[in-house]
Amino acid sequence: MARLLMFHGRECPHCRKMMPLVEKLEAESGMAFDKREIWHDEANADLMRSYRPVIAAKCGGQLRVPTFLNADTSDVVCGEMDYDKLKAWALAQFAN
Amino acid sequence: MKKRYWRCFICNDIHYGIAPPEVCPTCKVANAYVEVTAEEARKFLGGGPDTTFAPADFRKAIERFTAGNEFMVNPDEAKLATLLRGIFENEDNHGFKFCPCRLRTKDWEEDLRLVCPCNFTIHETYKDVPGGECWCGLFVRRK
Repeated sequence: MARLLMFHGRECPHCRKMMPLVEKLEAESGMAFDKREIWHDEANADLMRSYRPVIAAKCGGQLRVPTFLNADTSDVVCGEMDYDKLKAWALAQFAN
Repeated sequence: MKKRYWRCFICNDIHYGIAPPEVCPTCKVANAYVEVTAEEARKFLGGGPDTTFAPADFRKAIERFTAGNEFMVNPDEAKLATLLRGIFENEDNHGFKFCPCRLRTKDWEEDLRLVCPCNFTIHETYKDVPGGECWCGLFVRRK
C-alpha cells in the first residue's frame, strides 16, 4: 500500500483549491492522503524538509506547496492541477 | 561579492549592497556614503520612529510597487485576502513575510529569496508565460 503525503499551507490558495479534489479522490477511490500543513506545524515542516532533495528536484528547486509525495518511492508532483491529473498520478502509485 | 552596509553622511540613509548609490536617493548628494558595520547600521535602522506596516499599508505598498511594472496585484480579492493573511502570519510566526506557498529551508540566504515580494520574474510560473503569475499568485502579469 503506497503511503501518499500531501504537503499544504493553510493560506496557500493553490492548496485550498486542491483540497476538495483530494477529498473527492479519497471518497471515490478509498485511498488516503496523509495531509501535512507546513506553515503552522513545525514537525510537518521538518518532515517536508527531510524530503527536500527529491521534492526540489521536481519542483523548480524549491519546497513548494501543494506537493504530493509517495513516501515509499519518492515520486513527486507539485502545484495546482486538475482532478484527472491528480487521479492519474495517485493511481499510478498503486500500479506496481 | 558580499553585500555590506553604507551610511549617507548627510541624511543617515542606510544602504545594504555590494556598493553604495552614487547619489543618495533621499538628499541627492553625490559620493555621500561611507561603509559602516552591521551593528552600526542596525542602530540607525532600529532607533527611528516605528514604521511597521499594517496589512492595509502592505497592500498599498505592493500596489505602488507594481504601478510601473508589467505585473499587478491579483485582482481576485478573496485570493488576495488569503495570501495577505498568510504573509502576515508568517511574519508573526517566522520573522519575515515568507511566501505562503513555499517552505523555508532554514538556510538564511536561501530563505531570503522567499520573502514577499520575491524575484518571481525568473520563476517558471512567470517568465515567458502569458498570463503568468508568481508562485503563490499574489502578482499576475498584466494583460
